[in-house]
Amino acid sequence: MFRLQGSKTLAVDLTGDGVKAKNGSMVAYDGRMTFKKLSGGGEGLRGMVTRRLTGEQMTVMEVSGQGTCYFADRASEINLVALHGDKLYVEASNLLATDAGLRTGTTFTGLRGGASGNGLFTTTVEGTGQAAIMSDGAAVLLRVTPQYPLMVDPGAYIAHQGNLQQHFQAGVNFRTLMGEGSGEAFQIRFEGDGLVYVQPSERNTVGGDV
Amino acid sequence: MSTPVIFDPMTLPSDDNVNSYTFCVELKASRWFLQKGKMIAYYGQINFDGIGHGRFERLVRSSFHSPLHASDWVVAEGSGKMLLADRAFDVNSFDLEDGNLTIRSGNLLAYEPSLALKQSIVPGFVTLIGTGKFVAASNGPVVFMEPPLRVDPQALVGWADCPSPCHHYDHGYMTGVMGGIRSLTGIGGTSGEEHQFEFVGAGTVLLQSSEALMAEQATGAVPNEPGVPGGGFAPGGGGTPRMPGQLGDLQRRFGL
Repeated sequence: MFRLQGSKTLAVDLTGDGVKAKNGSMVAYDGRMTFKKLSGGGEGLRGMVTRRLTGEQMTVMEVSGQGTCYFADRASEINLVALHGDKLYVEASNLLATDAGLRTGTTFTGLRGGASGNGLFTTTVEGTGQAAIMSDGAAVLLRVTPQYPLMVDPGAYIAHQGNLQQHFQAGVNFRTLMGEGSGEAFQIRFEGDGLVYVQPSERNTVGGDV
Repeated sequence: MSTPVIFDPMTLPSDDNVNSYTFCVELKASRWFLQKGKMIAYYGQINFDGIGHGRFERLVRSSFHSPLHASDWVVAEGSGKMLLADRAFDVNSFDLEDGNLTIRSGNLLAYEPSLALKQSIVPGFVTLIGTGKFVAASNGPVVFMEPPLRVDPQALVGWADCPSPCHHYDHGYMTGVMGGIRSLTGIGGTSGEEHQFEFVGAGTVLLQSSEALMAEQATGAVPNEPGVPGGGFAPGGGGTPRMPGQLGDLQRRFGL
């Protein structure tokens, strides 16, 4: 059972079951816990090879035991996501913890990743359970419906879920090349039905400066 | 588990904070000035164009008087709602009514074109004049103070209506050879608080509750004219390197 202790610490109550968390993110626990590094994020040999190849690397540990375990990472804000058989797409660096029952994997995101500096691949989490994702500053959840597509700055994007198509949108014109760019030349356009998480801060991206 | 608030174009606030780090601006076929790269997401049809865009000539003539900052600013134009944020700093909107406010240039995120942005005489600051709304970022919540007061330079965000911002040095710690050595080397102990900005008169001073500065914007230099503060300085160029044992610039200012 995931709950937030303040906005920057995740408390997980464990009763013999397990949770997968970012390696080294435990800050405290009470009860009895065992920590086991999961090579390849528990995705097996194939997952390990995929992650190595795609650069979407994540080091994961499995925590199991009885009691409460607390996780935090660099004072990032933590957001809980409940999954009911749907799929969450999240950058590996923003994923803090998932229920042990959730499957994680890697997927190709298309051109978007190239400009956002996050690589061309992203991590997927699917199944039924809870996941905790991190953001720099409290994340804002935005709903996307067919009538209302959403444009997001690649540096502020952290995760999305639901049935969304993403397109990479570039507004580069001759002004950009002359150094008169708008600073918002690259955007990800989300269409369909779902939720997008954005953080109130921009990572340094290749596209951010043009 | 608490259910997080999910926003859509209907429920997003109009010209108000979404949370303490994110501000939502509603555009209805209108324009806003915003600093480059501060938009994180938007709904609707919004275009972002550099200040130099020919179509904005009239707009720039009436509400943008800071050629030094022109490359840092863009005009958002269209209809929809856009979210602004900056490095997870606190953002707040302020309303000016036929007033004036001077703010550190890096802290100003966006403003309505009914305000005019002018470069302040104080280097690194800009002044907004007129009536309208603007959005500013600060590290930690903003504190409002009434002059007379002295503030730490790093904590200063801006000020409104104060006629006389000036430097204040704690003279006793600075004078004499010992004071020079002390302030230069830190030997003998400095508190780091010998220098403040002083405000007197009627007005409001805005402070942030930390001493972390926004990253300095490259602002170029003001015109090299006699009488223009900061004119003729190449920022970052920094003159000749200081020799060991040479007294600091402060000593020169005190005539030592």
